[in-house]
Amino acid sequence: MRVGIVGAGSMGVVHAASWQQTPATLAGFFAESSHDATRLAEKYNARVYKNYAALLNDVDVVDICAPTHLHHDFVLQAAAARKHIICEKPLARTMAQGRAMLDACRNANVKLLVAHVVRFFPQYALAKQNVANGSIGTPAVVRLARESARPKRPPNNWFFDFEKSGGMLLDLMIHDFDYARWLAGEVETVFAQSIATENPDAPLDFGLAILKHKNGALSHITGAWAFPPPNFRTAIEIAGDAGLIEWKSADTAPLEFFLHERAGDFPDVGLPSSPLREDPYTTQLQEFYDALLNDTPTRVTAEDGLAALQIALAAIESARLGKPISLAEARA
Amino acid sequence: MKIGIMSFAHLHAEAYIQNLRAIPDVELLGIADDDAARGEHFAQAFNARYFDSYAALLSAKPDAVLVCCENSKHRALVEMAADARVNVLCEKPLATTLTDARAIIEACERARVKLMTAFPMRFSTPLVEVKARLDANEFGRVYAFNATNQGEAPLQQRAWFVNKDLAGGGAVMDHTVHLADVLRWYLQSEVVEVYAQTNRILYAKEIQDTRVETGGLLMLTFANGVFATIDCSWSKPPYYPTWGGLTFEMIGERGVVLVDAFKQNLTLYRHDLKRAAWNSWASDANQAMVEDFVAAIRDDRPPRVTGYDGLRALEITLAAYESAERGEPVRL
Repeated sequence: MRVGIVGAGSMGVVHAASWQQTPATLAGFFAESSHDATRLAEKYNARVYKNYAALLNDVDVVDICAPTHLHHDFVLQAAAARKHIICEKPLARTMAQGRAMLDACRNANVKLLVAHVVRFFPQYALAKQNVANGSIGTPAVVRLARESARPKRPPNNWFFDFEKSGGMLLDLMIHDFDYARWLAGEVETVFAQSIATENPDAPLDFGLAILKHKNGALSHITGAWAFPPPNFRTAIEIAGDAGLIEWKSADTAPLEFFLHERAGDFPDVGLPSSPLREDPYTTQLQEFYDALLNDTPTRVTAEDGLAALQIALAAIESARLGKPISLAEARA
Repeated sequence: MKIGIMSFAHLHAEAYIQNLRAIPDVELLGIADDDAARGEHFAQAFNARYFDSYAALLSAKPDAVLVCCENSKHRALVEMAADARVNVLCEKPLATTLTDARAIIEACERARVKLMTAFPMRFSTPLVEVKARLDANEFGRVYAFNATNQGEAPLQQRAWFVNKDLAGGGAVMDHTVHLADVLRWYLQSEVVEVYAQTNRILYAKEIQDTRVETGGLLMLTFANGVFATIDCSWSKPPYYPTWGGLTFEMIGERGVVLVDAFKQNLTLYRHDLKRAAWNSWASDANQAMVEDFVAAIRDDRPPRVTGYDGLRALEITLAAYESAERGEPVRL
């Protein structure tokens, strides 16, 4: 199986490293920045494609790690070329794009796998397993938090263009919108508030969302690009009618480093990590590899990606209008 | 100064009686309770004089009383005390209806007696430190709070807490007022909008009164634009290392402050308990609160928390019930 990666930003780098851990062949890269693509291609002894068509011609699977607003066009072209697709989260920038992507892949009979990697983090998978096997009963109140620094700000960083990324609520909080729905089922209403400052000395984004699930469970989602780098803190709390799950990254780190800092020595996008035999990105791509090869099920589907997108867009809309958004009405 | 306790319905009375005895010049006059068995039990347990009626206690000429009856009965006892020209420290919430809360304030104003609402978090040393730094503008502009005041369901301690007629509600009535008051105190701004979602999945079988909610998430908006969530759920299991807690994350221009008001503990493992327990070494906020009440009477100044503060916190709480009922934000 030959895999081509679109995009050579932070996720392209992470996925390339993870593909190396699977039996797939990393064929090459296509990216806006040929410099970044060349650097990765050299590292993995792979090709740099001059254009997307050349990549599609040479691979069985496309792994789209490009900015969110570009997912739609890359997916539609890949579907037209009858290639299976792995697409970074968020699935798309708009629901119309997302629906068109699902339709195109269904019609072309190709798989569309959305990289909601949080489902593959072992603590998140284990908490889900506990809920699924009933060890804490029916979830009543779920609290999820994901807090880090704002991504670095090189010129034209697409993260900061709301039209391209959807901002922090879409790019970051979608992880926990997806996870909350995985735990507690379909979401009925969303109410959110957020702040995004332009103060150059205090750049931060912060959002809080309250989800009401169809079955009556409530979820509280916190998203922050508000901490000084290199912090990346995540937390899970699930209160069920027969027990409670608590987990905080800060309280369960097996390693803590207190090193004297070198100026500017932090990554562009902070990613959470804990030492594991297999990192969660590899677990994810291995599961996707198996699904593509043997048609085995994956724990996250394109429909899940679309549903998470809908919750995130509803949160943005709610914060904008100052009203709760009903997803049932939004669907109709 | 002679101080009596009216009712031991609220478990906090057990702490307050010891707080009173720790203050030089305060004489614990005794306790009265409309539940004679309960009153006699606690009088004996704490070696205090038992009065067989509230009138009997008041005719013994206390300078002040602590009103610790069921929430919905506060008004009757405060009015009795005010009519007898006795200063009042009233357990939170001040009342269960705005009519009662206003009547309580008016009765005490008419009688020219002090009225303090028991909001001990105003005297919590971690919270006091943050307030001082906030007032010194150490964090720059404040944008948002992500707060929790969760606990175990009090049905093990006192059955009336889960009876709407006596408690005025469930988790929302029990826990919202503390953080509502802390945030008003911190921000010096009033709440203009309340959104809330509630459910009763936790303890659905154990709590007979189906009007009592056990889970709740609130979003408050302040006049100055700050937004804040409060998780007031009874989501800590009875075998949790402690009764619950109060935490918040404060997002400001300079970054993030994490506050865990009840974190000053030893973790204690005892063969007889067969579970971990948190053994607090924190400064006693109840003690500081009761001392402020006594000093307010002695120095003839307003207590640091007033009846008005209790009224505003109740207003926010009742708006949360209205919002949960209507499914939309409620303006204040």
